[in-house]
Amino acid sequence: MRNRASNTLSKGKIRQSWSKYNLYNMQRFRSPPTTNRTFFQQKWSAKAASRAYHGEQVREGQWKRMFNHRIRSVIPMNASDLAADDGSLVSSGRGSGLDKGGKPAYQTRPTPYTHMTFAPLERRLDVAIFRALFASSARQARQFVIHGAVTVNGQKMKHPSYLLNPGDLFQVDPDRVLYATGHTKTPYERRQGRLAQRKAKAQSSEGAEEAEAAPETEESKETAKEETKETEKEDTKETLKALLAQAKSVMSAGKNTLAPQRKQELRGFQQAVRRVLSRSESSTVLADSLEAQFSQLTLLLKAKRSEKPEKKDVKPRPEDAFATDRGDAEVASAKKDTEATASDKLSEAFAQATLGNEVDASELSDEEFDTLKRALTQMRDNPLDNSKTYSTPWQPRQYMSAFAFIPRYLEVNQNICAAVYLRHPVARPGSAEVPTPFGESIATPAYGWYLRRRW
Amino acid sequence: MPPRMQSRSVSNTLLPYLTSTSSSSSSLSSIPSLSSASSQCLSRQFSATAAPQAQTKLRRQMFEWLNNEGSVFKHHVPGETNYLTRLKQRGGNEGSETSRPFPNNQHFISEPILSEELRNEVYSRVVEQKKSVRVVSVELGIDMKRIAAVVRLVELEKRQRAQGKPLALPYARAVHEMVPTTPLAEKGERQTYHEPINDLPAHPLTGSQIFYPVPESRSFNRVEAGRVFSGAPAMEHSEATEISHPSDLAEKIMEDPNSIGWVGKGANARQILQPADVRIPHPHLVAQERDRLAHPNERLAVADLQAKRLERQDALEKERRERLQARREKKTNIVSPEDSRFDYRIKDTIYTTETTGVDGRGSKATGRRYGVPHRDRTRGEVKIPTRVEA
Repeated sequence: MRNRASNTLSKGKIRQSWSKYNLYNMQRFRSPPTTNRTFFQQKWSAKAASRAYHGEQVREGQWKRMFNHRIRSVIPMNASDLAADDGSLVSSGRGSGLDKGGKPAYQTRPTPYTHMTFAPLERRLDVAIFRALFASSARQARQFVIHGAVTVNGQKMKHPSYLLNPGDLFQVDPDRVLYATGHTKTPYERRQGRLAQRKAKAQSSEGAEEAEAAPETEESKETAKEETKETEKEDTKETLKALLAQAKSVMSAGKNTLAPQRKQELRGFQQAVRRVLSRSESSTVLADSLEAQFSQLTLLLKAKRSEKPEKKDVKPRPEDAFATDRGDAEVASAKKDTEATASDKLSEAFAQATLGNEVDASELSDEEFDTLKRALTQMRDNPLDNSKTYSTPWQPRQYMSAFAFIPRYLEVNQNICAAVYLRHPVARPGSAEVPTPFGESIATPAYGWYLRRRW
Repeated sequence: MPPRMQSRSVSNTLLPYLTSTSSSSSSLSSIPSLSSASSQCLSRQFSATAAPQAQTKLRRQMFEWLNNEGSVFKHHVPGETNYLTRLKQRGGNEGSETSRPFPNNQHFISEPILSEELRNEVYSRVVEQKKSVRVVSVELGIDMKRIAAVVRLVELEKRQRAQGKPLALPYARAVHEMVPTTPLAEKGERQTYHEPINDLPAHPLTGSQIFYPVPESRSFNRVEAGRVFSGAPAMEHSEATEISHPSDLAEKIMEDPNSIGWVGKGANARQILQPADVRIPHPHLVAQERDRLAHPNERLAVADLQAKRLERQDALEKERRERLQARREKKTNIVSPEDSRFDYRIKDTIYTTETTGVDGRGSKATGRRYGVPHRDRTRGEVKIPTRVEA
């Protein structure tokens, strides 16, 4: 199917997309004028505007078959109201309740039924993926489905037009979601990725050759080990200092730091941690859990907590990764955003830390421990990896927040990129669940257009 | 298309600048090719007219907006929504404005999602503390369907973590920063309700306007209104006096779902429309309120009554589920041969006019019938599945 859903500025149509063109179009969109226009013309232009957004990938005939004039709605009931009255109060007198100073017994807001015209389209798999914030446009969601990256109830589903049933669980490949919602790679990153790929290829071919010559090198390795043991004692202090400094620069990099510079810092920290951890006896530390890595790191560096601020102990945080992430969320956001409240606190802590370091390097304050740990957490959850299709460390793409909302009829688990279609969207007094950028003046004529059968 | 030519003045001013600052880090690679190309252009000119402007007016306006007013949308502020409506609300000071993503649509609100802690709390209450979905729904103010979905999703997440499958943790964090969330209440605080849990679906029968004369002296309640909407005759007086409040019906129907009457014949037969007290997801809340009204000063007694009611309801529902399951198992015979990948479910065919049609060749009938093409071969058959079994 040819993609006609380009975001042209001259037409100014609103699409199901997160692009900045679309944001601009949405911002400047005005309802078409109604004066001096026939009712047919009004309905036509309303239909054209709303169909450009709702199911633009669906043929008109297909949509007309899906359209239903009956619209689902609910009324939230109050248990105490129901208990107080069995309905006879409302129907008393001449059928509409007794007068109480001209006030009706129940005050309700009008239900925006016509905003729900395109509710049947929200059942489509591609639209639901876009609504769950797993793709940056309905077109991209459609592509994910066609390319086989989506499962419904655990089975691969290749039809974007599959209509979800209430209770269906759909899941998208997390890598695709990160690609769709993340920053695109810069040419620099792309080149780095290529270089890394080339290097890995060369190493794998070299590794095969080296395997034959391995026994000879073992002796030299052992001598090297002895040497490092001697030097180890002396440089623990300095390593700790350097690690801390690196963690600090990693966590507090402002938005004006150049991307390559930041990447270098991150890579440096990663290497430093790896170097320290490789000294430990157990060979599996590098693959171990974060807790194990952290405790090993502190053990190797002979770092102690300073005795003075005894607020909390080195208690193991909950295993659940999100809980540990919350803390570093503040920092991560401060890093890339204009708000710098969290980083203020950190930089203050570091100012104290640098003063303390001159006295004794192996005594760490709580904040320092936290920072070290946070840097480690971030390295694990959001690593620098140029082999990915998106810019790493992952960060949300620009202008995503203006489109970020999740309608009530979906329950989404972002960690595994899965969502459940709970029920069909409904209207309720004062609000409609179908996300549509158009107001009453477009929704009602568009509904009127489809009410009449023209085929 | 032949290469477009830069206007002379531009390339003249650009050239020395580019060559002099070749040491600067930006666009290092592009410099040699660019300078050679422009020097070529200088040497031979084909046209005296200047090339059209690089940007149209609309593009210029867009980038102007994006760089000024629109620049706030580039990045989000954690814990706050960042929708287009924030541009217009500068004058006003309404709090609800910030949760509307579309400036033209007054009726769409970006509703909060469950926070990670609340989600885990739901899971622990249902799976670890073994509370019923109905009870957890009332405690936390979350729809029962959503609770079932949350349990399913958390279960799936745990399995994927155990298997070491890739997760989208940074993405999840970013989304939770951008979208409003319902937090889990601190210990001792009251949990804020996530959504209305007692939604009554509007029944299509109630859409019609009916003129139904009733004497003013008679009280006309919801039970009677439901009968009028579905075209059922009025209840006998003795039957009507048994029901003191419509919520009595809820308990009666819970115990015996077949007690709902029917109207119409054959294909037009339908159940009588029940009052809202029966059709809402949590009818027991109405009963609890009635207990409270009846015994205003006995909180403990009311709570005790409610606990017993819920217990009975759970037991009844469980019994019904088991009965259904048993009946289904009785109907189908599952044969699973050894060293086979498949189970065979064998059902008895019911051969009546309803299932196979008058002439025995109905489109829904089972097996091969003379003159009826296979489903795959019929015209206009849609092959896209309509359901995927979980």
